Amino acid sequence: MASTRAHARSSPTASDEADLVARLRAGDEPAFAALVDRHYGPMLAVARGYVRTRAVAEEVVQEAWLGVLKGIDRFEGRSSLRTWIMRIVVNIAMTRGEREARSIPFSAFASEADEPAVDPDRFRDESDGFPGHWRAYPGSWAALPDEALLGRETLDVVTSAIEELPAAQRVVITMRDVAGCSAEEVCGALDVSDGNQRVLLHRARSHVRAALERHLDG
Amino acid sequence: MAESAEHLTCREVVELVSDYLDESLPAEDTTLFEQHLNFCEGCVWYVDQLRATVEALGEIREEDVPPEARDRLMGAFRDWRRS
Repeated sequence: MASTRAHARSSPTASDEADLVARLRAGDEPAFAALVDRHYGPMLAVARGYVRTRAVAEEVVQEAWLGVLKGIDRFEGRSSLRTWIMRIVVNIAMTRGEREARSIPFSAFASEADEPAVDPDRFRDESDGFPGHWRAYPGSWAALPDEALLGRETLDVVTSAIEELPAAQRVVITMRDVAGCSAEEVCGALDVSDGNQRVLLHRARSHVRAALERHLDG
Repeated sequence: MAESAEHLTCREVVELVSDYLDESLPAEDTTLFEQHLNFCEGCVWYVDQLRATVEALGEIREEDVPPEARDRLMGAFRDWRRS
């Protein structure tokens, strides 16, 4: 199977981060440029979860960077730098999203839990000898070439499937699986419990898997 | 979670796969989950599908910083440093 880069992206250690923050405060331009390169993409992805257009998302990210500069002197390192930056993005994006009527109602975090991961009709019912077991197994993707799973067309299917998700699920899966944030970072940035984070991620991954299955198994 | 402490059905297993991949499943559920996979090829394939899904998600490229945005940000940084 192809790379597991999403999970390999390591977080800097606390002392690396303290060092980076000190350099930013001292006005070190290459340090800021490196920070922008590292976080711009994930920030844009998160902002896209809240606002309608890419142009507005870019404005949100731009404004968030100004917030980072304004606030860096007060950053105390109680969360990771990325969590802190993402919180700034979320706060600005929520304000913009409200104006655009695409904000995430916080009730959404609680109410999306009941939908099953897989269509219940795919499992045998009580009248059957093995209730709750597959009627027909899902396909094996092991023999598929990498191009089938990771090719442009497939990644477009994945991108569309993310777009279809309810907002809270979309933001969580984008942060975790696209941007490579840890569960802790997501909880810190969105102010949700670990349990909520896990449920939202589970629903979102299940939805994307189903879309891929329709695409790959036809 | 599981209706019976003895075993999980496929329908229950699919609800646990995401947590399993993240190693956030409680130990007792992990045991039941892995016991199920030992005899159920369909669920092994399902787990592989979800793992492949997560890998595909990781392949979506976040774009590079657009040059104009980068210039604006570096300008903002210099202004901030002077202030």
